[in-house]
Amino acid sequence: MKFRVFAAFVAPSLLLMLLFIAAPLVSVLWQSFHVTQVEFETVETEVCTPGFITQTCQTETRTRPVLDEDGKMVSTTSFVGLGSYRKLLEPDRFVRALGDLNWRGVMVIDFWKALRFTLAFTLFTLPLVVGMGLLIALAVNSAAKSIRGQIIFVSLLPFIITPVIGAISIRWLFVGDGILTALLEWILETDIAVLANPWSLEFLMMFYRVWHVAPFAFVVFYAGLQTVNNDAIESAVIDGASRFERLRYVVIPHIMPLIVFVALIHLMDAYRAFEEIIGFSSQAHLISLQWLTYDLLTPDDSGNRAISRASASAMLTMIGIVVILVPLLGKTWRDHKAGSI
Amino acid sequence: MRKYIYALAGGALMLGAGGAWGGCAFDNTVPLKSLTAGFEAWKAVTGAMSECGNVEAELDQEFRTKQPAAFAANPALYQIGGVSNGTFTPLYDAKTIRPLDDLVAKYGGQLKPNQLITLDGQVWAVAMMVNAQHLMYRSDILSDLGIAAPTNYDEVLAAAQAIQDAGVVDYPLGGTYKAGWNLAQEFVNAYFGHGGDFVDADNMPTVNNQMGMDTLALMKALSAYMDPEYLASDSTYVQQQFQQGKIAMANLWASRAAAMDDANESQVVGKVTMAAAPMGPAESASTLWWDGIVLAANMSDEEADAAFRVAMEGIDSEMVMANNDAAVWLIDGYVPGMSAAGAAATAADGARPYPSATWMGLMHTALGNGIAAYLTGEKDAATTLADIEAAYTQAAQEAGLL
Amino acid sequence: MAVARAMRMSPQLRLASGAFILVWCVIAAFPIFWIAVMSFKAPIDAFASNPLHVIFGPVTRMGGKGLSVPDILIGLALLWVFIRFATRRLPVLVRRYSPFGNILVGWLAAALFYFAAFVLVFFGLLPPVMGALNGLLGTLGEPIIGLTLEHYISIWIEDGFHRNFLNSMIVTTGVVAVSLTVGTLAGYGIARSGSHLAFWILIIALVFRALPHSVLVAGYLPVFINSAEILRPILGELAPTLYGKPFAVIAVLVAINQPFTIWMLRSFFQNIPQDLDEAARVDGCTHFQAFRWVIMPVMWPGVITTGLFSFLLAYNDLLVTSLLLDAQNQTMVPAIAGFFNRETTTTDQVEAVAAAVSITAPLFLLIMVFQRQIVSGLTAGAVKG
Repeated sequence: MKFRVFAAFVAPSLLLMLLFIAAPLVSVLWQSFHVTQVEFETVETEVCTPGFITQTCQTETRTRPVLDEDGKMVSTTSFVGLGSYRKLLEPDRFVRALGDLNWRGVMVIDFWKALRFTLAFTLFTLPLVVGMGLLIALAVNSAAKSIRGQIIFVSLLPFIITPVIGAISIRWLFVGDGILTALLEWILETDIAVLANPWSLEFLMMFYRVWHVAPFAFVVFYAGLQTVNNDAIESAVIDGASRFERLRYVVIPHIMPLIVFVALIHLMDAYRAFEEIIGFSSQAHLISLQWLTYDLLTPDDSGNRAISRASASAMLTMIGIVVILVPLLGKTWRDHKAGSI
Repeated sequence: MRKYIYALAGGALMLGAGGAWGGCAFDNTVPLKSLTAGFEAWKAVTGAMSECGNVEAELDQEFRTKQPAAFAANPALYQIGGVSNGTFTPLYDAKTIRPLDDLVAKYGGQLKPNQLITLDGQVWAVAMMVNAQHLMYRSDILSDLGIAAPTNYDEVLAAAQAIQDAGVVDYPLGGTYKAGWNLAQEFVNAYFGHGGDFVDADNMPTVNNQMGMDTLALMKALSAYMDPEYLASDSTYVQQQFQQGKIAMANLWASRAAAMDDANESQVVGKVTMAAAPMGPAESASTLWWDGIVLAANMSDEEADAAFRVAMEGIDSEMVMANNDAAVWLIDGYVPGMSAAGAAATAADGARPYPSATWMGLMHTALGNGIAAYLTGEKDAATTLADIEAAYTQAAQEAGLL
Repeated sequence: MAVARAMRMSPQLRLASGAFILVWCVIAAFPIFWIAVMSFKAPIDAFASNPLHVIFGPVTRMGGKGLSVPDILIGLALLWVFIRFATRRLPVLVRRYSPFGNILVGWLAAALFYFAAFVLVFFGLLPPVMGALNGLLGTLGEPIIGLTLEHYISIWIEDGFHRNFLNSMIVTTGVVAVSLTVGTLAGYGIARSGSHLAFWILIIALVFRALPHSVLVAGYLPVFINSAEILRPILGELAPTLYGKPFAVIAVLVAINQPFTIWMLRSFFQNIPQDLDEAARVDGCTHFQAFRWVIMPVMWPGVITTGLFSFLLAYNDLLVTSLLLDAQNQTMVPAIAGFFNRETTTTDQVEAVAAAVSITAPLFLLIMVFQRQIVSGLTAGAVKG
């Protein structure tokens, strides 16, 4: 295919991605190295606000932004280099705590706390998602043909349901005296508060993620199982391979590309974990990298937001995901080179 | 959420465009849009505004994010805005809202002086209601146990202990301690109760002191009587715990009071009494909030005229009479009911208004993100407060405030 | 013979596998089933801590709203008929009556009709009929399970949730259509090019996919709000304010979803033999003609599967739609999230649950209809890594 033809085919998609992803990305990168400060002035102001019955008026010193002739705020943007990254990573405090072998000291720094959770969350759920997906796929594949349709339908429900709603529906089963907490309390005869402990929260959040994503892994693997070559299985049987060996040496290698695909998608999505933090209100105990970015970007009542630090946090998140993906991408690269020759 | 608006808009369409409809005194022909928060009082007010026709009301939980940008656009994307003393600041500072003096003179005859939010002699917003967190308690439980209604935090703690010993409810106390905005708000209340100030004249933080320590200690003492999941419970959840009879006392928003007696939701109808916010060691441990209406600067005078008249219809006595218990209204025609008693008593105790200032937003965020670590035991009080001051200073420097 | 015996599962394994499937299905469906139960109860019942109260709804029942034994029996029977019809008769009817090549349109129409019939029978026809019947039956006709439709009525009729539904449909349809059009072109180009550039485009797209959405969205907001001012020098008075416009949100969601779409479609195209387009080219077709008339007709399974993923993304999105749309164009998910925010009452919450169940219903239908296509589409050779 000639380059011009190729370009014509790819152009619309590239244009959209450049406009709506690459352009914001460049601006995020730029903002992570700059800080925009508004110029403030302090004035004496008489302020009257309502009491219940009467008006209360008082004179206060009020710090307010300076406005120019056009009514715009006067602001200066300056280059700060890695300043925003440093504020986020707090390297001095990090190194000091690390030097004292003080794990707690590291975990009080928001970024490292978020990174710890995000990594644990991503890496723990990965084998669970792949494993559950594979198990369900194998079990469905060996179920009677007549009920397979219904099982597939039910299995796909957690994947298709709107994530916010899925998270809330699971939260309600556990929050306070939710029915599942009540059940656990009845069985174990202790008082349980799932949302009050970091470990139970973390477990619940991982459970939710696996519940939500395993069906996707399942349906991909199940489709893969339909294409397993029967001759290969039969010759394995003739060679005396047990059921497990057939799975290990024939089936899994066959669907390996699918496992890589599912792992790739899952790593990316789990590393961006966000709904879980909001859905299970875990921010007092556990935060994720995307939540940190989101929190820095959310304006407070007075409209302030830490855009520079949020940009730095977003860039660090992206670097992290690229590092995690490198092994998988390396494999894709080798496949590509093999294919293009 | 928007049932009133759509129902009314639908009704207006069916009746045709001729003549003013329903409770509106005039027929609005200028297309207007409003952007406000979404709680009960705003539902009532925007519903009444929509009766005038050509008003599209947006009640949006993202209004904090959208308002400053949407009002700064030229022309502004919304003509009418709903603000509180917190969210008023960015609009006023950027002067994207207009002074209302001439409009008040022209159409605002019925407004009371304490509805006018005045800065430097100019009216910038018209308040419609006040709100405050105050004590709500189960009067049946307290009188059964022979406990007098607590008026300060020592008495609250003593009462909580007595209720816990009696074992009549799941948890003696409820608290809006959800990490973030809610938790910070509780700190603000209690810190004011200790007589503290958040910043000095140069906007430098002043929370790392004995009053700050005492405030944290008080919060921790209170949290011992709460549902262990207190760091995830917001006002809706606390309100629900009250309605289900799981808690006996809580410091909750006045705007939530009416829900206690809503027979469709509540199992404790008539049993919850409203009282003033408990006193801290120094003064009332609560803050007064107002909610009101602002008009965008970037619109034509005709639009501003229409927008103001529509807004006045939204906060007229008729609306108040139809929604008397939805809020503690400042508007003529309001009959302070049982649910307003707590807010009135809190105001009478001299609770401070929540500061409308840039530094307060920064401080609120720093508190909201910092306090949880103390309550979970990750940090001690001194480190917590030092970190909060550092977070505030850092954000204030970035914003240009310091 | 020996092979067949070795392939057969031992009874223990069969039992274990069956039990596992059963447990999984319960775990998968229970949370959704539970919110569905909650949505039919009065607020006090819905949030009761005793699960039996949630199921049987004593408060709801006292309000005189509920199901009697005949209600349940007839309801279940009708439900069974509907499901049988959907799985057995409907596919046949669609295949028979949909115009050739437009099986997708046929399915959409069938799904709409089916849904309408379902709502009509269960919510329009059944309540009055059963009400009369229960009246005749006396004690047997008294409700044993509390159930009320009031939350659904207030959501759909009083709150005007149908407007959000329509907005969701506009955004979702737009995203699926644009995403597939743009994505198939790019996927085909990349699959057939084989150059390093194509590979790097793919990798960069993947990295784009990893970007936290909250950053992107926060970046869009000021630009979208001021777009009229920004674009005025170029477009003059025609410059649009992108904020609040469904087409702008469609463009954003398409862009965000492009990486995944391209990846999926590329693998589909790779599995279509290159000989096919080469033969077409020999016959004098241009690349585009070969793509349109030779490749696309065999691509439908892949396109449908990819389209379903686009549909899910657009339909379920909260972050983009809640910030970039205003009330008039708001889709269903941000509207529901609005009910759950901190300024709501318990009634609002149950109504939100009813809304949540309502928006799940079309997804149910979609999966029922397209389930086979998903599996066969993926089987046909999507995702080869």
